[in-house]
Amino acid sequence: MHTVSRVLPLLLAALAIAYPWAVPNYYLVYAGALTVMYAAMSTSWNLLGGFTGYVSLGHSAFFGLGAYGTGLLVVRLGVPWAVALLVSALLVTVFAVGVGIAAVRVRGASFVIVSLALVSMMNLVVQGWRSLTGGSTGLQVPSPFPGLHRGQTHIVFFYLFLALLALALLSWWYVSRSRFGAGLRAIREDEDKAESLGVPTAAYKVAAFALSALFVALAGGLYALWFGSLDPIFVFSILIASFMVLMSLLGGVRHLYGPLLGALIVAPAGEYFLIALGETQIHLTATGLVLVLVVLFMPDGILARFTRRRAGPSIPDESAGQRLQGVTR
Amino acid sequence: MSLVLQGLALGVLTGGLYALLASGLSLYFGVMRVVMVAHPAFLFLAAYLTYTVHTTLGVDPFLALPVIVPLFFGLGVAVQRLLIARLAPDNLAMMSVLLTFGIALTIEGLLGTFYTGSYKSVSMEYATRSLTIGGVHLPYDKIIAFGVAALTLAVLFAVLVKSRFGQALRATIQHREAARLVGVPTERVAGYGFGVGLATAAVGGTVLALITPFFPASHWVWIGKLMAVIVVGGLGSVAGAALAAVVLGMVEGVVLVTVDATWATMMFYVFLFLTLLVRPQGFFGGRLAHRF
Repeated sequence: MHTVSRVLPLLLAALAIAYPWAVPNYYLVYAGALTVMYAAMSTSWNLLGGFTGYVSLGHSAFFGLGAYGTGLLVVRLGVPWAVALLVSALLVTVFAVGVGIAAVRVRGASFVIVSLALVSMMNLVVQGWRSLTGGSTGLQVPSPFPGLHRGQTHIVFFYLFLALLALALLSWWYVSRSRFGAGLRAIREDEDKAESLGVPTAAYKVAAFALSALFVALAGGLYALWFGSLDPIFVFSILIASFMVLMSLLGGVRHLYGPLLGALIVAPAGEYFLIALGETQIHLTATGLVLVLVVLFMPDGILARFTRRRAGPSIPDESAGQRLQGVTR
Repeated sequence: MSLVLQGLALGVLTGGLYALLASGLSLYFGVMRVVMVAHPAFLFLAAYLTYTVHTTLGVDPFLALPVIVPLFFGLGVAVQRLLIARLAPDNLAMMSVLLTFGIALTIEGLLGTFYTGSYKSVSMEYATRSLTIGGVHLPYDKIIAFGVAALTLAVLFAVLVKSRFGQALRATIQHREAARLVGVPTERVAGYGFGVGLATAAVGGTVLALITPFFPASHWVWIGKLMAVIVVGGLGSVAGAALAAVVLGMVEGVVLVTVDATWATMMFYVFLFLTLLVRPQGFFGGRLAHRF
């Protein structure tokens, strides 16, 4: 097991780095970059969802804000793209701290409602503020690499997204071994008990919320530079957020590589659907049905099937009857 | 001034529809502690079915109700018994949102495939004129919508308060285990509760088809609005949701005529966040909303 966990990341990294040179055409490079982007985003989503159990359906708000922030800084202020990317991600993180303070006051269902509302609000703001954002016609962002042709740009962004994915995975790994991560897990198991044991639950939740927003915002910024045109209806769509959730759940939210595995399955499947079925709305149905099936039959994800780790709280809530049986036996 | 009055009047009329739909959401939350994100998707499914009945048979859209309402009641029972009841209870709140979210996506995709993404509408000759009282114009379609919504809500309240089924339902909402102890078949009642909730979506959909053009993706806007309504009213409180719906409808109406449509929709979210900051359990929710 130990050798596997050491060798596997290196093997994966080597495969990923070789990927753009091993595939026959630029379309596959593009699809690969898209997949890696989703993997980075869902790993980042999992910093909140996996550790604390707070399911956010609103992370596409941070994606969209990161994208528009970067785009606007480049287009309106003429800031160099790398600076714009970092500044906008930082701004989104600060914004996420503000939202987080309001959002994590509520639990369970209300939290999901707030996160959904966030996406709709941002969508309204960006579409309504026409003078700044271009409204529903969208925003055109000049390419950061004007010397490269489209295919070469795909390769560059493949590696940029790969770096982001590595960063997100490292953060997850680091958090999972830290005191902070233990506190977040305690929140997932039983928030009230964690609080009474002295875990600063509110601060931890806000920190996790902001950290997970940071990487999603970076992904959004890279997306803006990569695609060069932003459509508010797409970047603030619930669909992007639901992809993050679906990928994480499918792979397994309690595992480092869970969201990555989910992304490797869902993103290529999505691209395939797009080609096979065309631009109809039936791909929404496919996504929805897969989500329903995963929630019903595999809420712990694929990886949970292969590891022995038991799902559910580590200290199970037993009924009085079960306790009695255990004692009398 | 008359502009504000106009906005208020239209807001009250739209608020009636919000109240009907939000009461359905409160029912689901009450019986299962489930936030049913797919409620507006079913609303639009009903609107499209009404559209189909109206265009293929050429009959009045309200004649579709006797078919759609029982159909949706059955669907609601099926959704609860076959899907939601299967979820593990330890993380029901989050998982049920994801489940119903998946249902919403499924419905949206199907509607988009069968009816295309373009706007559809049902317009009746009697619904195009408007009634003028003291300088305020009230379109007949909105008046009819309000009337139907109010009537349905009244029937719903009467059933909840007077009938034996209503008593069982309220007992299940108040305390599930205690209800089971005194002999209420809570599983079955919860299923019927879902059926009734979805029946409100069926009525709402028919009304919606009459008053506004619709397209498949527009249910997302409604999710936001209705969620805001039930949080402001207090999760699980049917009366609170109805009251909050009318108040928010009026705010929307006034902002719509004085500022613009973007801000009118935004007001729902403003109220949502204000409520969460000031009074997270909502303004009418009691014990029930405490932990949500």
